[in-house]
Amino acid sequence: MNASAISLPHGHGHDDGHGHHGHLTLQYQPGLPLSKGKLIMWLFLSTEIMFFAALLGSYVVLRFGAAVWPKPHHVHLSEPIGAFNTFVLICSSVTIVLALEAARVNKVGLAKAWMLLTLLLGTLFLGIKAYEYQSKFSHGIYPWAPRGLIYERPDLYYGSAVRARLGQPAMIDRLKELDDTPTDRLSADQVAGRTRLQQVRKMVASPDQQAFDLAVVADQIMPLPAEGAAHGEGHGGGHGGGLNDVFPWLRLPIVIPGGNMWASTYFLMTGFHAIHVLVGLIVFAILLGYRLDAKRAGMIENAGLYWHFVDLVWIFLFPLLYLF
Amino acid sequence: MSHPTHDPHGPVTRPGETADQALEHSAAHDHADGHADDHAHGGIGKYLLVFLALCGLTTMSFLTYSPAWPWRDQPQVGWAFMMAVSCTKAMLVVLFFMHVLWEANWKYVLTIPAAMMAIFLAIMLIPDIGMRNRMVSQERALHMARVSDVKLLEKAAEAAADAAAH
Repeated sequence: MNASAISLPHGHGHDDGHGHHGHLTLQYQPGLPLSKGKLIMWLFLSTEIMFFAALLGSYVVLRFGAAVWPKPHHVHLSEPIGAFNTFVLICSSVTIVLALEAARVNKVGLAKAWMLLTLLLGTLFLGIKAYEYQSKFSHGIYPWAPRGLIYERPDLYYGSAVRARLGQPAMIDRLKELDDTPTDRLSADQVAGRTRLQQVRKMVASPDQQAFDLAVVADQIMPLPAEGAAHGEGHGGGHGGGLNDVFPWLRLPIVIPGGNMWASTYFLMTGFHAIHVLVGLIVFAILLGYRLDAKRAGMIENAGLYWHFVDLVWIFLFPLLYLF
Repeated sequence: MSHPTHDPHGPVTRPGETADQALEHSAAHDHADGHADDHAHGGIGKYLLVFLALCGLTTMSFLTYSPAWPWRDQPQVGWAFMMAVSCTKAMLVVLFFMHVLWEANWKYVLTIPAAMMAIFLAIMLIPDIGMRNRMVSQERALHMARVSDVKLLEKAAEAAADAAAH
């Protein structure tokens, strides 16, 4: 706060009318012409700018410094789903602005309706995000090793990992069971898959294994879709789905060059973003408990500022993750 | 000084008032006078226009995927284009939805230093992180994915496709 006009009791310039007999009257003006809540929200947002700049900056630098980086369809990212999520967040940004406008003119019911819609859109965003995470998990893509199946290259280490998985006692039983199943109890995909799996087992166990053999094994287990197959749901290559898709219980190690760093950055960035969305939803849920009239406009504005920032981060995340 | 709300330096607190109350008074006064109207700058029409622009821009990012995009063999052009689209979208959100367009000059105090720090931060990562693969140990090179690995996998996929076709 600056003391902008101080009326001194014994001063010369008694130009204002309220300097009474030795009373020190002070007039203050706020240092910044905005309310405390909004000031604090903006200060918080400027720290958030740096937080996400660090994450996005690291991603860009890691990505462009990497020798190989997976294409979005190599890691089962679907551009239409990402675009739809972008649309959902943009819609929710509009609805929260409309809630603020309604509250400013004391349209309490309308403000509450827009706020509720914002909450629902945010929940929808998280739901879609959860679905996307699930599709990564089901393909063995996790942010770190215990469950993650990603190997960087189809080399000897990869070959021995596949061999080790196939040699687990439970797997041996399961494979024997599959081999003994009569053909008429399997689907066409499974019959073809069983033959391919037998070839893979032979190739992995072979003592005179070539580098190319391991690439073939990796391609059979989880093929990397070709560029042209980006929009189709097919797995490219024209040889059906990967063995991990045909027999989900196999969970054999997979090869995605650059995949581990990709998974770390993807889950870190979208995870932190999702946490921010969740916090926004909690704030909206709390605000819904209030009467949203002009008196609460400041609160709604601050919540809105935060929400727009969350939208802003996604605006950059979407092209960086899904389209690059 | 005799008319506190017309002070050129902004709202002034009267004795016994908090800063927030002063702001409220000032806003009420301005409202009555008809200038700096708090509601006039928003406007539902303007918000909907911005919304349509955002949707249009999101669709535009997909232009790089269309066969008509002339720089398909130079992905960098597409990346620059998509970043330009993203920055435009971000500016629209910040200026209109976050009302920064209508805020006083304090907006520069908060946003410009933060943006500069953000840019410095990214630049500072380049030597150690961005160039980490210029000099790597043999151990690391052994486990690191290379372009040749991708080529090998593509060749395997082609061979499998050929085998399936016959």
